[in-house]
Amino acid sequence: MAGHPKDIESINQLLQGDKNALYLLYDKYSGALYGVILRMCKDDDLAKDLLQESFIKIWQKISSFDPQKGKFYTWAYRIAKNTTLNALRKSSPLIQTDDLSVYESRNTESEVSDSSNLKGILADLEPQHQMAIDLVYFKGYTHQEAHKEMNVPLGSFKSYVRQALIKLRERRAELSWFVLLIEVIRNG
Amino acid sequence: MDKKSILEDGLLEQYLLGELSNEQEIQIQEVLEGHADLKEVFEGLEEEFERIGFENAITPPESIKKALENALENRGEKSEIKDISGPKTEDRFNYSRLAVAASLAAIFALSSFWFYNRWQTAEDNLEALQQQTIAMQDRLSNLEQTFDVTNRRYQSINNRNVIPLLLKGNSSYPGSRAVAYVNHATQSVMVNSQGLPPLQKDKTYQMWADVDGVMIDMGLLPADTVLIPLKYIARAESLNITIEPAGGNDHPTVENLISNVLL
Repeated sequence: MAGHPKDIESINQLLQGDKNALYLLYDKYSGALYGVILRMCKDDDLAKDLLQESFIKIWQKISSFDPQKGKFYTWAYRIAKNTTLNALRKSSPLIQTDDLSVYESRNTESEVSDSSNLKGILADLEPQHQMAIDLVYFKGYTHQEAHKEMNVPLGSFKSYVRQALIKLRERRAELSWFVLLIEVIRNG
Repeated sequence: MDKKSILEDGLLEQYLLGELSNEQEIQIQEVLEGHADLKEVFEGLEEEFERIGFENAITPPESIKKALENALENRGEKSEIKDISGPKTEDRFNYSRLAVAASLAAIFALSSFWFYNRWQTAEDNLEALQQQTIAMQDRLSNLEQTFDVTNRRYQSINNRNVIPLLLKGNSSYPGSRAVAYVNHATQSVMVNSQGLPPLQKDKTYQMWADVDGVMIDMGLLPADTVLIPLKYIARAESLNITIEPAGGNDHPTVENLISNVLL
């Protein structure tokens, strides 16, 4: 489940205390994680610190990563997300700290830099699907918080997430066929 | 929690995003381990979320990687050693516990030794105190006996019924002195012979009572004695001290009379 063989090799080296293995994982995953962190905190300087802190935690906690339970990215994503949420809890009195619900209220319409706008196939989805993924994946909302934020019932929100993932998969399949078709025509 | 509810409630997504409690996570993990098809769905979700992550990646400034490298280097060998032993967490844990246990054992041993020493010292002190107490009891007993004797003697001479009589040495023994305490009420005689000079071993002082011209033996009188009781003789007219052969004599040797006093 850990994913790419190179990841497994890096993780094994990391377990042996090899810092270079961490730098390899950084090179591969720092962009994806920085994208999550920056979208969550909307603060460049804070995001830099949190990315560094997240990788230090990865270095320190790598022995607790179990490849049988999931991919390295999923594990690293959770570390980055929790590190960011903890930092935001400390800095904002409006943020709850006593349970998994993090945000009582948060302005999702606030200004974000162009780079933090959603990209890829996700950007092509319908707004409600796009927003559902954005809230839980890039904003750090729980499902309980996100459905309130979207002002829809929890069941509907869960459907949005599921439908979004299905549509993403379908779009990728279509793209794969499209790419394959182009290749066939080229080579034709 | 079954496979159907997990799928319908969107729990896999929430599990992936780290929204669930530890208890729920463990339940999900157990179900995933038992259902390959569900695990396949989860892996698909992971793939999708990772793709979304990569598609929306933002390249971080190069300075962060340098800062990370510096942070790890500054942590030095300490961190490295700590993380090198990552796979050996169990061993490290055991060593830590072993170290704690050894420390506790050492503390216990030291405190036991300390208490043992204290106990031994207390035992020694107790024994010494007991010996002192016994010695004190002996001394007290002796003092009581001595006091009793002294008191009885004192009472025997310091009494209004007692008549003290000084027996001065005659011209042959001018330096000798003896004091007789005669109590007619109790019919007792006590003599202090400390003033009598010591005699040769084959000689002794002997006291006599003169009754109607007959000298009656009152007893031997050792020299240098504080108080010695002698025989009370009724109707005695005088007391006399003679020097006699050791063991005493039936009749006084008059020429060896050294002192006498009239009653």
